[in-house]
Amino acid sequence: MALMNILNTINHTLDQEMERDDTIVVYGEDVGHEGGVFRATVGLQKKYGKERCFDSPLAEAGIVGTAIGMAINGLKPIVEIQFSGFILPAVNQIIGHAARMRNRSRGKYHLPMVIRAPYGGGIRALEHHSESIEAMFAHIPGLKVVIPSTPYDTKGLLLAAIRDPDPVLFLEPKRIYRAFKQEVPEEDYTIPIGKAKIVKEGKDVTVVSYGALMPQVNEAVKELEKEGISVEVIDLRTISPIDKDTIINSVKKTGRFVAVHEAVKSFSVSAELISIVNEGAFLYLEAPPTRITGFDITVPLPRGEHHHMIDSARIVAKVKEVVKF
Amino acid sequence: MIDFKFADIGEGIHEGKILKWMVKVGDKVKDGDSLFLVETDKVNAEIPSPAKGEIVELMAEEGDIIHVGEVVVKIDDGSGESKPQEASAEKGAEAPKASKEKETEAHKEAVNEGEEKSAGVVGELMVSSEIIEESKENHQNKGEEETRKVLATPVARKLAKDLGIDIHKIKGRGPAGRVMKEDIYRAKEEGKSDENTGKTDDNAEASAPREPKSKTSRPEERVPLSMLRKTIAKNMVLSKSTIPHATAMDEIDVSDLVLFRQEAKEAAGAEGVKLTYMPFIIKALTLTLKEHPVLNGSYDEEREEMVLKKYYNIGIATDTADGLIVPVIKDTDKKGIFQIATEVETLAEAARNKSLTLEDLQGGTFTITNYGAVGAGGGIPVIKHPEVAILGVGKITKKPVVKDGEITIRDMMSITLCIDHRVIDGGDAGRFMNRFREYLSNPMLLILS
Amino acid sequence: MLIDKFSPLEGKMLSIMDPEGNIIEKDLMPQLEDEKLLELYKMMLLTKVVDTKALQYQRQGRMLTYAPNRGQEAAQLGSIAATEERDWLVPAFRELGAWLYKGVSLEQIYLYWYGNEEGSKFPENINMLPVAVPIASQINHAAGLAMASRYKKEDAVTMAYVGDGGTSHGEFHEGMNFAAVFDAPLVVIIQNNQYAISVPRHVQTRTKTLAEKAVAYGIPGIQVDGNDIFAVYVAAKEAVERARRGEGPTLIEAVTYRLGPHTTSDDPTIYREDEEVEEWAKKDPILRFKKFLINKELWSVEQDEKEIEAYEELVNNTFKKVENSKEVPLEDIFAYQYETMTPNLVQQLEDYRQYLEGREK
Repeated sequence: MALMNILNTINHTLDQEMERDDTIVVYGEDVGHEGGVFRATVGLQKKYGKERCFDSPLAEAGIVGTAIGMAINGLKPIVEIQFSGFILPAVNQIIGHAARMRNRSRGKYHLPMVIRAPYGGGIRALEHHSESIEAMFAHIPGLKVVIPSTPYDTKGLLLAAIRDPDPVLFLEPKRIYRAFKQEVPEEDYTIPIGKAKIVKEGKDVTVVSYGALMPQVNEAVKELEKEGISVEVIDLRTISPIDKDTIINSVKKTGRFVAVHEAVKSFSVSAELISIVNEGAFLYLEAPPTRITGFDITVPLPRGEHHHMIDSARIVAKVKEVVKF
Repeated sequence: MIDFKFADIGEGIHEGKILKWMVKVGDKVKDGDSLFLVETDKVNAEIPSPAKGEIVELMAEEGDIIHVGEVVVKIDDGSGESKPQEASAEKGAEAPKASKEKETEAHKEAVNEGEEKSAGVVGELMVSSEIIEESKENHQNKGEEETRKVLATPVARKLAKDLGIDIHKIKGRGPAGRVMKEDIYRAKEEGKSDENTGKTDDNAEASAPREPKSKTSRPEERVPLSMLRKTIAKNMVLSKSTIPHATAMDEIDVSDLVLFRQEAKEAAGAEGVKLTYMPFIIKALTLTLKEHPVLNGSYDEEREEMVLKKYYNIGIATDTADGLIVPVIKDTDKKGIFQIATEVETLAEAARNKSLTLEDLQGGTFTITNYGAVGAGGGIPVIKHPEVAILGVGKITKKPVVKDGEITIRDMMSITLCIDHRVIDGGDAGRFMNRFREYLSNPMLLILS
Repeated sequence: MLIDKFSPLEGKMLSIMDPEGNIIEKDLMPQLEDEKLLELYKMMLLTKVVDTKALQYQRQGRMLTYAPNRGQEAAQLGSIAATEERDWLVPAFRELGAWLYKGVSLEQIYLYWYGNEEGSKFPENINMLPVAVPIASQINHAAGLAMASRYKKEDAVTMAYVGDGGTSHGEFHEGMNFAAVFDAPLVVIIQNNQYAISVPRHVQTRTKTLAEKAVAYGIPGIQVDGNDIFAVYVAAKEAVERARRGEGPTLIEAVTYRLGPHTTSDDPTIYREDEEVEEWAKKDPILRFKKFLINKELWSVEQDEKEIEAYEELVNNTFKKVENSKEVPLEDIFAYQYETMTPNLVQQLEDYRQYLEGREK
């Protein structure tokens, strides 16, 4: 056990798994010598050499496309896209190939590869550095999309992602990369992809969120509990494949549902969650299932970004509204 | 560190009230030491410590309501920070293999020479000169009838349906006239009073909701239901809304039993046993159940299976000041009349004193309700879900009956057997009652069996 | 190196056999056994028959969209013949000859074009990717495959194909660049067939050749007569050997011509003149190889006719089999999205099955 933040945990986990499995190669822009712009891969090149951890040319389609080739040819590439906002040139590879290779080769080829990308706003960044585009990828059959929210989860989910036989997009909540620390066991453990976590049980309302907003949700819940509202908190952990059962069972118990995410509202993860609630727990509903999300706007630059970010007060207000309905 | 959570200590308990703390912060406790006394809708229970350690924090005060799953007390057991537990990655169901059974002839494309050539790089574009319906955009939609929709949440609609109430006929008292769950319960109550007075209001319309006949205020009091009462209400609705009850009734000549008990009473008294008719009834019932196992069990609706119990635990519906409670007498097939009598007495006493344990209430396989005890001659009981039958016994009264062609005065007891008609038929009920009658009208048979 | 004598920057193109089947660069003529020559020629013939027949089936309404190869047989077979069984073949989608050489069964190839994914499930021993419809995206896969071979210290070479239009694509650049930076054992064959659907070669790039693009990656690039199987073979052989020695990638531009349409749904008369097609037909790669073999007395016109007849029968029989192939089972469209079906997939399949069962009753 050691106290680690999410970033330390990613580094620790990559290190541990590279040591265990020499088919793993780690690369991306600034990933090798520098150890990544956030230092997620720091020290790996020194320890494992330039063969296994290296800087790539500045070309996202090239990074993901070569990873596909490597995965077909017996390696387990873990590639980094520096910011999820830069993933767009690689979408041709991710959606056009990574998601489809198993199906179109009827199982002859499959892609045990991980694409890591920091996502989300609230870090007062430049343009294209603050987006939350998880829903875009969750929409694509053949991909898995995972988002951790704690150091403990980061290790378990990342190990599961690396060992998964299919391509996993591992989106890292960069705003909380270093926001807090947690005891992370030294030993090897995985957290199943496709299973949400009930962070706290409750009986009045179900609140579902993930990634960088979990701390705000937890803060809001403390506030709500003081006022006698019992909240069941679920951390989705995997966006796709989504854990319907946990959501449905929770809403059957509470009768009320609020989804919280930073990504823009329309056609988002919360839209899917609300559909799941309607399909699976309709007759248990005491109030319309609803959500607090980013606005349907381009993420504002830092001087306007605070309008767009979600704080615990907004979550408290929305949950109260739902409980009083 | 242990975060000790309040668990579901009964079958479906959701909350409880802390009556008393038995520890305070700093106390050292051993595994099994009582931490607090909690009142739930079923039992009052002392909750024991899961481990040895020191009390760090009490998360609730006496009188607080605690919910299942909430941390109630933190105990330092020297294990350090509590750590979330995760199962390792599980594998889901195997992907189904391609089924090669279905052999259909390959789809043959017909050559379709359209009038225009279909230009494209891949695929075949459909070419046709068919004219589709004109766009209605910007044309006004006129004369659309406004239909009145009842405002209600899904859960309220389901409740109304379960209670057999037409939600359209309920006046909603919620926001914007929304029909609330309370409105439905109220409508149910009002519907009941109609039945009682024999009046039915066939013309009840949504537009003419039931209003109090007089606007002048009359003295009324609103009493919130106790937890026990709420539980009873829920269980009764569950039973009546899911189980199609069928009823068989009979009268049993228990004159011999009355004599027998009279004689045995003294012997029992000497043993310190207060002998009522109930132990005999329980014994007769147990013997009958052994011969008719289908009535001693429950019905698993989800799997559509009968669960036949190979043990005999008889629940006795008991009237208490707070409401109906059903303590259970275990293994009645292995106990004698006196022992049963003692247990009946002990449990009845505990029920009145609210000192029943959870154990006392669990595991029933069949239930008896004795409305004779409150002076009623007969009645129709409600099955204790998910059991499949219930026996009601009335007061023993002297009645003129025809015996051997002559009218004589005999001690008669009415019985009512309600069965779950989904899984038990009238024939089963009849045969069961016949055998039960034989046992109860013939105490010697009862004792010797 | 061939590039020393045939530099694209100096406007030189490697050519060994002229359209009449005469060897004009005797020194460069590869030392191929007679048996090998005949094998390659027969495979070119088979390719032609498969191709011609497919077009016919499509016109009969028996085949779906198909991308013909007519005219490009030498570019395909000359290059792949330089590889070994353990090497990787990364196709675009117009490499029929190369696929057949690699050992993919005709039945499987037809099955793919017939609209069944099973056609892309190649046998375990065949190192070949399914076709890549998104243009040039496969060059990145090829670079990755080659990088992995290098990492694993295996001596397998990757041979990838792309068209003239594909060289305009960003992914072509990224893949070439990755392969070059990491000395990946990769050979990229550009089948420059003069058109990307309707857009002519000169609209794709200002450079005089496509081969000279190699300069930007710091690797050798050579232009060869793509209708001359010997030129293609010799260039590919040198590139494959270099790659196997760990000397990095090579770019080969095979100048050829698509005699047929882009696909069966394309009408090439819109964008090119008949005269142009006739000019290129004179340079037919099969015709010139046949002349060479007849001159060498390894082959005869009679043999040729007999061989074509035999192939026609083979192809007809194979296609009949494909036409009678089983319908894709419902489970199959769900089963290969992930290793194990997700709860959503399980439910969607189950719901649909129940709907179908209900409908049958």
